[in-house]
Amino acid sequence: MRVDTPMATDAVLRIAGLTKRFPGVIALEDVHLELKPGEVHALCGENGAGKSTLIKVISGVWAHGSYEGELTVLGQPARFRTLADAEAAGIAVIYQELALVPDMSVAENIFLGREPTRGGLIDWERVFAETRELLRRHGLGDLDPAARVGDLGVGQQQLVEIVKALAKQSRILLLDEPTAALTESEVAVLLDIVRGLRARGLTCVYISHKLDEVFAIADRITVLRDGRTMGTLETAKTSRRDLIRLMVGRDIDQQFPRRAGTVGAEILRVDDLTVTEAGRRRAVLEGITFSLHAGEVLGIGGLMGSGRTELLMHLFGAYGRRVRGTVTFAGAVLGGGAPDATIRRGLMLVSEDRKRYGLVLEQSIGFNLSLASLRQFTPSFLLDGHAEFVRNQELFQSLGVKAPGQESVVGQLSGGNQQKVVLGKALMTDPKVVMLDEPTRGIDVGAKLEVYNLVNRMTDEGRAVLMVSSELPELLGMSDRIIVLSEGRVGGTFVRGEATQEAILQAAMAHHAGVPAKE
Amino acid sequence: MASRRNLSMLMALVGIVIFFTLHPRGAHFLSAQNLSNLSIELSITATLALGMLLVLLPGMIDLSVGSGVGLLGGLACVLIIRYGWAAPLALGTATAVAVAIWWLMGTLITRQRVPAFIVTLGGLLVFQGAHWLVIANTTVPVTPGGVENVYALLTTYYFSPASGFAIAAAVGGCLVVAELRHRAARRRHGFKLEDGEVAFLRLFVSLQGLLLLILTMNAHKGLPLALVILGTVILLVQVATQRTPWGRHLYAIGGNEEAARLSGVPVERTIVVAFTLLGLITALTGFLQTAYGGYSTTTVGKLMELDAIAACVIGGTSLKGGRGTVMGVVFGALIMAVLLNGMTLLAVSPETKLIARGLVLGVAVWMDVYLARRAAAA
Repeated sequence: MRVDTPMATDAVLRIAGLTKRFPGVIALEDVHLELKPGEVHALCGENGAGKSTLIKVISGVWAHGSYEGELTVLGQPARFRTLADAEAAGIAVIYQELALVPDMSVAENIFLGREPTRGGLIDWERVFAETRELLRRHGLGDLDPAARVGDLGVGQQQLVEIVKALAKQSRILLLDEPTAALTESEVAVLLDIVRGLRARGLTCVYISHKLDEVFAIADRITVLRDGRTMGTLETAKTSRRDLIRLMVGRDIDQQFPRRAGTVGAEILRVDDLTVTEAGRRRAVLEGITFSLHAGEVLGIGGLMGSGRTELLMHLFGAYGRRVRGTVTFAGAVLGGGAPDATIRRGLMLVSEDRKRYGLVLEQSIGFNLSLASLRQFTPSFLLDGHAEFVRNQELFQSLGVKAPGQESVVGQLSGGNQQKVVLGKALMTDPKVVMLDEPTRGIDVGAKLEVYNLVNRMTDEGRAVLMVSSELPELLGMSDRIIVLSEGRVGGTFVRGEATQEAILQAAMAHHAGVPAKE
Repeated sequence: MASRRNLSMLMALVGIVIFFTLHPRGAHFLSAQNLSNLSIELSITATLALGMLLVLLPGMIDLSVGSGVGLLGGLACVLIIRYGWAAPLALGTATAVAVAIWWLMGTLITRQRVPAFIVTLGGLLVFQGAHWLVIANTTVPVTPGGVENVYALLTTYYFSPASGFAIAAAVGGCLVVAELRHRAARRRHGFKLEDGEVAFLRLFVSLQGLLLLILTMNAHKGLPLALVILGTVILLVQVATQRTPWGRHLYAIGGNEEAARLSGVPVERTIVVAFTLLGLITALTGFLQTAYGGYSTTTVGKLMELDAIAACVIGGTSLKGGRGTVMGVVFGALIMAVLLNGMTLLAVSPETKLIARGLVLGVAVWMDVYLARRAAAA
């Protein structure tokens, strides 16, 4: 299939003895990496292992000269000074955070910054024709080039982003956590695209915390730990356990250490809840009924767009208009209050997007921890800064946040540590019910385990947990009971042990009319 | 980063002062009389800038305060001169009007979601028009024919040397007690204590500065009331922003409004309160500025919103919100006040003054952006 280079077995990209220092820290030390043509090469490691730094060196963000070691592309020493240099050499990066303009069309986005012109004006005909051809070639033929990107689902946006990178004639594609925001079905489409790229001879570097994907797609895996290369493995000859041990440096026996405790009294009851988006008539949630008991974890499954996040946000008082149904919380009706009132009554939400909805990134860990609980430290009119500091310190230590101190700025922490801060903020409000929306999105194996232990700690303390998760193993492993939403309605209810991945997926499709392609 | 920034600002101030002092026409710049005037001008600029800080922190802005200064000062003048009201009643009424207007603007911005920039830009024009209407395009003095009233005294009252020392002693005593209590609390909770000598030195320098200030002021007419008003405003704004949940909420909203909302911060109410307090401070500034001039004319307050914003930015306040300190703003106001005072002393033409003010604002914002980028890259 490859015809463009006679030395098909030579490395497309080779890194030898790479060391990158920051003031006071060595981010990468003597790292080696070799990419073969037409392979999918996974990069694994915990947060802070140096994956992002490595990507930044390869893609020219860290200019040549700011690191030691050699970078060779197709046998030629590469000295990238800027992102554009790397792009010219055929290297494209797909970041976790989307870099699309929501108000522009798919075609406009794909050709943004290099619009073909005729007589000084943009040649729109060519833009749309080439976009249609590109989409078709990558199996996205049913996507309208004129569709506004902001109207697409996150998954489709991610695919557009990839097509955009491919349109630049890239030979090496770096995918940094491409599936962090995708549903299972979108992940499948993405993996198919990556396989298609491999078949056409492209080299892909695939970074993901989701080991299932790594094993499904990667030919080889390079593991980084604490800035050093721990080795490169052939996926076919590697077990999950071996990989985790190499990443973490120890065995992690239990992936989902759910410790079911004693279930107490009913704390939250939702009856026939029907909710519309403010100002619209279509019901986003319809006839939802469930109950939640103290000490229990109720998992909420479903596809993206099935109304899971909307359900949590509505209960929290931050979304939609209730047209029917009642919500009873701790013996009294809950409805209509804003988040501050809801928090005071003992219901707390941890949002799925910690950077956008969870944290004030430029502030300290302590600032964020106590933000929702300032009332506790305000006996009269003034804040008791010392009491606040003491309480912050307790949580900071018991959560095991890896940072020099609670004065550290939250934006500089790794994803897992940021997530601990968000969870700590929720805990500090002393909630009766904690609602967790995708609590382990984008964090590494070790940090996931700590989050699960924290969930156990919450239920041990008699709190109830409502947990939305797109990762089926997590949903199955951590929930005592599961309800599955499908198109805003309950598609199925399961008790721990009875549920299987297939049964949950089936329930998630229960109310889908026709092809489940809609977001 | 912060300390490098502070240092460069301090050097800028020293440079400006040296320039004015060495200038052939600037011989009087460091005279007791000019420093006394400067302290009143600083009080006016800094008071307004501290009000501006309250709305910049949550990422808002207010372009109407300059016109507001003119309108509210003028309104009080007219009530006294044309309607013969007692000065305290006139000031109180104008203050109430200010609070109501700024509450209304805050409400429009938060509940009706009209951008602050637009609402206050509208306010700028409306208040200016209203100001000219109220004073009927004439010149209205703050006090009828040489009779002293509270209004005029705002900038003409000076404490006697003895009371000046007494006030300084009281403030110094408070500083010492606050430091001791802070250390005691830290010790009680088992935290690391700052080196005692460092704390002592800092305190010692502050007390000396205080003493120097009083001696300088006493060399002219004494400690101006305006400076004491500024001191009170500094204290109140410092406590409100650093020691109350409301202040914490301002920073949270500016840093990440959605995260703040989902953490239970009453975003709308917090911002409305900030605007209402800014209204209060605008009225106070209006009285000070008008009293300093002696009468209300169509030009009072003009462009003061820009001086206030410039003072905030020079002092390290982010226009995107979420970052800014009281002492930084006071320092920024000091630079602005020194510049304006010095240029007046040097009899710089009004056109050059305008250009200089504009350039200072531009350079301050550019430095802010530049330093932020440098910090991000490091």
